[in-house]
Amino acid sequence: MTGEVGFSALVARYGTAFAAFFVFCVFAVAAPNFLSATNLLNVLKQISFLAILGIGFSLALITAELDLSFANVCSFAAVVVGGLIHRGTAPALAIAAGILVGCLAGIANGVLVTRLKIPSLIATLAMASVANGLAFAVTGGVAFVGRWDPSFLAIGRGAVLAIPALVLWMAAAALLATLLLTQTRLGLHLVFTGEATEAARLAGIDIRSMKLLGLALSGFSAGLVAVLLTAHLNSAAPNMAGDFLLTAIAAVLLGMTVFEPGRCNVAGTLLGAAMIGVLGNGLVLMGAPYYLQDIMLGVILVASVSVSASTIKKAAFGI
Amino acid sequence: MRRSLAATVFGIALLAVAIPAHAFKLGIIAFQMSSETHARVANAAAAAAKARGWEVQILNSEGSLPKHAEQIEAMIQAKVDGLIIAMGKPVEADAQLAAAKQAGIPVITAVAGASPHTLFDIQVNDYEVGAQAALYLLSKLNYRGNILIERYENNVASRIRGKVLDVVLSENSAIKVLGSHSMARTQSWQEDVRSGMQALILQNQGKFQGIWASFDGQAYVIDDLLRAQGLKKGDVVLVSIDGGPESNRRIKDPDSLLTATYAIPFEKIGEKAVDAMDQIVVKKTPREKIVNGPVLYVEATLVDATTVDQISK
Repeated sequence: MTGEVGFSALVARYGTAFAAFFVFCVFAVAAPNFLSATNLLNVLKQISFLAILGIGFSLALITAELDLSFANVCSFAAVVVGGLIHRGTAPALAIAAGILVGCLAGIANGVLVTRLKIPSLIATLAMASVANGLAFAVTGGVAFVGRWDPSFLAIGRGAVLAIPALVLWMAAAALLATLLLTQTRLGLHLVFTGEATEAARLAGIDIRSMKLLGLALSGFSAGLVAVLLTAHLNSAAPNMAGDFLLTAIAAVLLGMTVFEPGRCNVAGTLLGAAMIGVLGNGLVLMGAPYYLQDIMLGVILVASVSVSASTIKKAAFGI
Repeated sequence: MRRSLAATVFGIALLAVAIPAHAFKLGIIAFQMSSETHARVANAAAAAAKARGWEVQILNSEGSLPKHAEQIEAMIQAKVDGLIIAMGKPVEADAQLAAAKQAGIPVITAVAGASPHTLFDIQVNDYEVGAQAALYLLSKLNYRGNILIERYENNVASRIRGKVLDVVLSENSAIKVLGSHSMARTQSWQEDVRSGMQALILQNQGKFQGIWASFDGQAYVIDDLLRAQGLKKGDVVLVSIDGGPESNRRIKDPDSLLTATYAIPFEKIGEKAVDAMDQIVVKKTPREKIVNGPVLYVEATLVDATTVDQISK
């Protein structure tokens, strides 16, 4: 009996991690060149955008609010950064503007949700539409491209001791988010707000401010990714981050099935992003047809979440 | 000693015959396979490569720049022998194309624009095609009358066509633009075109003689709208660009209002890319014998009532 419970708990806690390890091993054996250092660094570089956006989304979700605008806000912030760099603005100013756009969008989401009492699903969808429209208004549909300041490009293309800058940005974002959530009173208040809203309110926590902060941090992440993406691709297009909406949410959902089942957690989000990145990369190296990647991602997501969800239900309600 | 040396040489020779030659591994990246034109180039290139016995892998960037860059990096890691990129973004993926060149992987782009890191780009001159389509429409209207326009600004080719149309219109003041709609949505674009053009058609009922659409997919939606309004072939001149079997069918159809299109040979572009890869990389023909300069241009063909039967064959 105890053994069964122990096994269930192990599956609930580490099932996705085992699955990720299994997928990694399969590719290590079957996909030529998968284990090369260059390729693994490429995978880490590629998942950095996904992971940072996922961490931002998690910080909003931790307060029990959804942010469905982050991808479009990121695209809008990217064209702001790209447009300014294109016009010769100092990189520091352009970077600050991009991050500010992300933060302002997040704060606007927070105000809509906490002050006007609009459900976050609707408020952030509306914000996504506004951001999309603004991105096209800024660009007229034409991407900003050019030979930009190398010091700006280094933010997304550079490396420190052979480690790509993007990987370091991802590590920094993950570390800061973990410290915030586990080592600060503010982080505990964020978690408490999402997990027991009424109790948190009775305990004197300013729930509205916490939710606003969660959404603002999601906006901040979108702004940061906008800067990194623009520097990495040496361009800014009005829909350049649109693809990240589903994959970043998928990374967070995968992450919620591991380490702290049922809860958003930074380590889990990183693992989820890594799993998505490894899957895409490994299938390419194995020569799989392009449509198989989408199918596999869907299957793994559903399988992983459903397995862990049933285990979580069993642990929580004994069903 | 001589015997063992001869046996060794014989053995090596036997092995060389017995081991099949390494099949050329071609990577193909299409920027957005859900776009028919991208898929036509990529699929034609894949078919041409397979016909040569090559190993082929197609990837779809799903219209995402980050994914596009990732896929080029993955193809470098997959150590393909050659790479064809359909409708890619060479400026945005400059760093990845430079890495491919450094890794010794030859790259040919199709309808993407040239890059110093690729062999060359194969494309139709969209400025020329845009001018031809615009002038065809105006000539059918005898250079006077009213028209409606359906644009698409988020694609470089259709945007160029629209800009060239504006230049042509600026020189022909007897043509008046009654209304213009610009398609904004990309996922549900048919509905976007339908709602936008339906409003313009109803607003200007009986007042317009021509419609210009930036690509054939839009023209199909407009054709259906015009037919639903009870208009007959010849009531309105509907001109577009891209071509393909559906365009040919509509131009032949007595109930359709699609008058003409300038057919871009997307399949031929894909096949030419593979042929060039074969010549330059496999057969070591000097690049200059295949193309001079950074771009290999192919011609678009007018498809209207006078040419459709011949082109459909």
